[in-house]
Amino acid sequence: MKCKEVEELAGAYALDALPAETLREVREHLESCQQHPEIAGLRAAALSLAAAAPGMEPPPGLKTRLMDEIRQETARAAEGRPREIDGSWLRRYVGSAFRPYALAGALAIAVAALIGWNVYLQTSGDGGQDVAIVRALTDSGAAQGRVLYFQEEGVAVITVEDLAPLPTDQTYQVWAISGDDVATGIGLFNTSASGEASTALEVDLTNAEFVAITIEPAGGSPQPTSDPVLMAQI
Amino acid sequence: MEALYDQYSRRAFGLAYRILGDGPSAEDVVQEAFLILWRQADRLDPARGKVSSFLMTVVHHKAIDLLRGRRGETRRDSLDLPALAQDEADMLEGVAESQVRDAVSNALQSLPEEQRQPIELAYFKGLTHVQIAESLAVPLGTVKSRLRLGLGKMRSALEGRVR
Repeated sequence: MKCKEVEELAGAYALDALPAETLREVREHLESCQQHPEIAGLRAAALSLAAAAPGMEPPPGLKTRLMDEIRQETARAAEGRPREIDGSWLRRYVGSAFRPYALAGALAIAVAALIGWNVYLQTSGDGGQDVAIVRALTDSGAAQGRVLYFQEEGVAVITVEDLAPLPTDQTYQVWAISGDDVATGIGLFNTSASGEASTALEVDLTNAEFVAITIEPAGGSPQPTSDPVLMAQI
Repeated sequence: MEALYDQYSRRAFGLAYRILGDGPSAEDVVQEAFLILWRQADRLDPARGKVSSFLMTVVHHKAIDLLRGRRGETRRDSLDLPALAQDEADMLEGVAESQVRDAVSNALQSLPEEQRQPIELAYFKGLTHVQIAESLAVPLGTVKSRLRLGLGKMRSALEGRVR
């Protein structure tokens, strides 16, 4: 799409009045083109239209329902009640944050990463075939980590960087999550003051689809009680 | 949260009702929007007055989605809430509610009918520019330029009014 077309569509775009395909084309254009400062102002004008609707008192029952719902959510969080593993929280993270490396790139990174590690792992054959390596990003994009899984040895090596150290009453817990969304705790760790950690875990990840790291109370939890801070697809 | 509800629920419910035209659906949308606001609260900066624009944007998005769903149209992508929470405050933040309502209503009513009508169809009915062209029986190019011109005039009128 050209600049002139985007200009013509600026009003409809600001009002969110474009069919999906046209909207996609305009967004793509705006991602790489800085020539449309007018749009921010039109968007602000469009947002202000909310005020043109006359205010209306909602039925009193709505406030009661809302506050009840909030109280229940707060109670669930305070109890640390295990979240139901229904898969939706996984998909949310996988869909937004998961970016698989190409295999060649993954192997190169595996080799580079191993050089710096104080861990010796026997690899088989060409040393590459058994290695699964993935990288997951957090919500904020600051922390990152790697999982190297050596299938024959049944060892997973997890390294993380820029992950804030936890107070003594909390721990990072590593989970193996199967394709049918069953989470199994496979290890605990904390990070150093500089936010780094590497840990080798004896584990069979044959049936695991994801490895995830959550923050849990000290000693770990039987099931994850918070959203993953890091996650990787195996 | 209770204080936020007391402060903004009239506006939120008014907007949802204006779009959907029925109380129970408007209630559902407002409840969902406040829950989203509550869950995103740590991302919002009340000092910058972003709470109301965030809330009203969510109410609008959810209500239009519901309306489009009723018409058998495809729903849009879900809102990028973290991005929305990081958005700059809108131009009317910090202005008293009654002043905002007057300013926006005046700006809208002062537009020529031919510009006001397509803007209202887009914002309150969730019609695309193609649907607006069909329903008003005017060429698509005309709709595009009327939406742009009308919004541009509103922006100028509001900037003049609140600064």
